[in-house]
Amino acid sequence: MKRITALLISVILCLSLSGCAESTAGEQETKSVPDFAPLTGIVEGRKNIYLIVKIVEGSSYWQIIMDGAKDGGIDFDCNVYYSGTYLETDWESHEKLLDAAAAAGADAILLAPNDSVNLSGKIDEIHKKGIPVVLIDTIANTDSYDICYMTDNLMAGQKAAEEMISQLTKNGIAESESIQIGIQVGATSSQTIIERLSGFFQYWSKYAPDSWEVIPDIKCNEGSIDKAVECAEELLAYPDIKGVFGTNNGSTVGFARAVRDRELKDIAVVGFDYSEEIAGLIDDGGYIASTILQNQYYMGYTGVESALALTEGQKMPVKFADTGVVVVNKDNIDQSEVQEALLHN
Amino acid sequence: MKAMPIHNINSPDEISGSFSFFRMLVIYLVICGIGVSMLLTSFNLLIRSHDKKLTGDICSLVTEKMNNSIRYMTSSAENMSAALSAQDHYDLQALYDTLSRDTGSRGYVSIGFIDQDDNIYATPSELSEFDKWGLLDTAKLADPVSISAPYRSGATGQPVFTMFANFTYGGGKKGYLFLTNPLKEIQNMAYTESVTEDTEIWLMEAASDNIIQCAGSNSYSIGSWNNALLSMRMQINYDYQDEYIEWKNKMDEGHRTANTAYKIGSETYTQVFSRINYMHGWYVVVRIPSSSLSAAMQQFRTSVLIFLGILLIATIIMFLLSHKRETEEKRVLQNLSIYDPLTSVMNRRAFDFTAEKYLGRILKNEASLLFIDVDYFKQVNDRFGHDAGDRILTEFSAALTELFGEDSYISRYGGDEFVVLVRSADKKKVSKQLDILQAMAKEVKPCDDPEEYGDFVLTFSCGAAVSPKDAEDLKSLEACADDALYIVKKNGRNGYRWYEKAADVSTAKK
Repeated sequence: MKRITALLISVILCLSLSGCAESTAGEQETKSVPDFAPLTGIVEGRKNIYLIVKIVEGSSYWQIIMDGAKDGGIDFDCNVYYSGTYLETDWESHEKLLDAAAAAGADAILLAPNDSVNLSGKIDEIHKKGIPVVLIDTIANTDSYDICYMTDNLMAGQKAAEEMISQLTKNGIAESESIQIGIQVGATSSQTIIERLSGFFQYWSKYAPDSWEVIPDIKCNEGSIDKAVECAEELLAYPDIKGVFGTNNGSTVGFARAVRDRELKDIAVVGFDYSEEIAGLIDDGGYIASTILQNQYYMGYTGVESALALTEGQKMPVKFADTGVVVVNKDNIDQSEVQEALLHN
Repeated sequence: MKAMPIHNINSPDEISGSFSFFRMLVIYLVICGIGVSMLLTSFNLLIRSHDKKLTGDICSLVTEKMNNSIRYMTSSAENMSAALSAQDHYDLQALYDTLSRDTGSRGYVSIGFIDQDDNIYATPSELSEFDKWGLLDTAKLADPVSISAPYRSGATGQPVFTMFANFTYGGGKKGYLFLTNPLKEIQNMAYTESVTEDTEIWLMEAASDNIIQCAGSNSYSIGSWNNALLSMRMQINYDYQDEYIEWKNKMDEGHRTANTAYKIGSETYTQVFSRINYMHGWYVVVRIPSSSLSAAMQQFRTSVLIFLGILLIATIIMFLLSHKRETEEKRVLQNLSIYDPLTSVMNRRAFDFTAEKYLGRILKNEASLLFIDVDYFKQVNDRFGHDAGDRILTEFSAALTELFGEDSYISRYGGDEFVVLVRSADKKKVSKQLDILQAMAKEVKPCDDPEEYGDFVLTFSCGAAVSPKDAEDLKSLEACADDALYIVKKNGRNGYRWYEKAADVSTAKK
């Protein structure tokens, strides 16, 4: 009888095994964010504008945006409060900050959304409450905002590709020569980065010679500078590599460090923002380096101006305003337009 | 009639067939396992081919819908341009002012003109977009219509595309009419009620690998740009990269349509592209996770598996019940065919079969064979009757079973003859048991009344031989034991004797 029981149990086990399924539960990490703090002097009776940035501490890029917003607050006579997250991907905290700003009685909100897709629902909700929403730096996939001041990243990506082709050509690479270009991104879900990449490919596929190949293995450093350097080294190990493109500040820093460490003076580096590392390569003169600067000061300054105008019932002439980009390389660094852009970078 | 005792000890295992049942059951389970595996494999193949076909069908449907809609849109632009050309306007600014007033109500983002000197009649925001996106170059490709790549509109903040149509004015001057439409128009075309929530639809530019999402589970992701190298190729499991590259190569080579299947993590996706006729270099790409398409079939597969499982368990239970009944019947039949109905010890045939098997094993077993005759049994029958004789035999065999049962095969050979095969060749031990048997025999009485049986005392004569020393096979061993019994009988019965070799026997006889 024991044998029969054992046999039955094994049959039932065999049958039940086929129905086994693993269940996974995603865990959301709770991250704390700082409370809103005044960016300008607070004067009773003035309009209260709430600024929510992506990275609230330790980023020169976001500091410039806050500087612009502060100057805007002073110039246009309004109170500006600010807060933000510590991680560029922490969109859940942005949701909480939007709720907190609304609860604090914000007359208008300036938001640099951490996630174009996931924050759209919350932006809808805030805008429906009648609070004007001005987006800066990044657009959201919703109509529920009043105006967006940002770099047209698709165009910025095209400019990067144009600059890459120009630098390679200036460096004597013939159209018939078989060369490779490496690309590194900071994140795979950031709409800003994706649009820069898309713009780059849009221009590259149209204007780059067929023998100039983009390495299909696009590296992602997930926001880590150390990993960015590792990714850069992996790409620089390709035998025919002649150019590298970093779609954001971290990726550009990674490329700049790796190129300087190996003293690769025949590699064209094209990136974004004005980090110490890329500035060092441009200033050196011996390297082929270019970077694309955004007008982030203008985003903060004009964002506050528009927010205030919206609270006074004015309508915006457009929904999307491209704040433009400036390409910097060793040949144009002394031009006045570039120097002006560098003042705020 | 007496109930048949269960002879655990004296059950001849050699005759049992229970092992073959389990062997059969194992074979049955193995066959069932193979059958279920084959069924699962064919189900999975069916599901996979069903996925591919269904994705292909959905993609064809979506592409056809988009091609028709784009054809309709381009035809509208052409017809509008033809109508305006027929009116032969001389003042383009006045025409622009009139038409641009109610663009919103017509579903366009904007409408405008380009004259023969490349002057553009548009808003300042649109003029900057012409410059930024090189739209004038796209206009010049119109034959009779051209469509721009999608870009973000300043006026709406949303992705748009612009159609250009050849246009004549002012007595035959050549210019272009342009209509800017929200990309959502194309996205709406891509959407179809038959598409499941998990279905993702993109517009894809082959040259740049850029994709624009038209449909997906998250409605806010619709309209967002991406690049297939980043969002598809980088995510695909390494083993499926080659299949994806082959699929993309077909797109680059200008194939009209192609499909592929790959895995991202544990999820399998089927993906199909189809060329869009009126947007050069652009394709519609549809991706559907297998779990979404196959949900109904997988549910059916699970139901079939559960049904098969229940069937299997029911069959096994039936098997076991039937086996149990069969075993019971067999046991009864065995008892009838193996055991002597009067004494419940084995009959001669069963004993011979069992003892031969036991002695015939490769590793020779040690054994003692005892030939036992109840002394003067005929006189018992004559004196006390047959019932008393039966009682004597029954009680004597019970004494044998009690004494030797654990380690022996006991048989009634016929009449008053018993044969016992003890699984031991230890003469001393067996002799001791025979001494006890002599004492036990004395207790066996033909009836309960002492007055009736009086001075009756039951005795027996026994001849014994050991294997393998005296003989190895049953016949020879029986012959040896019989010889010894002969001597006991000859010497006056009521005793036992071990077989001795011929020389000794002759000495003994003397």
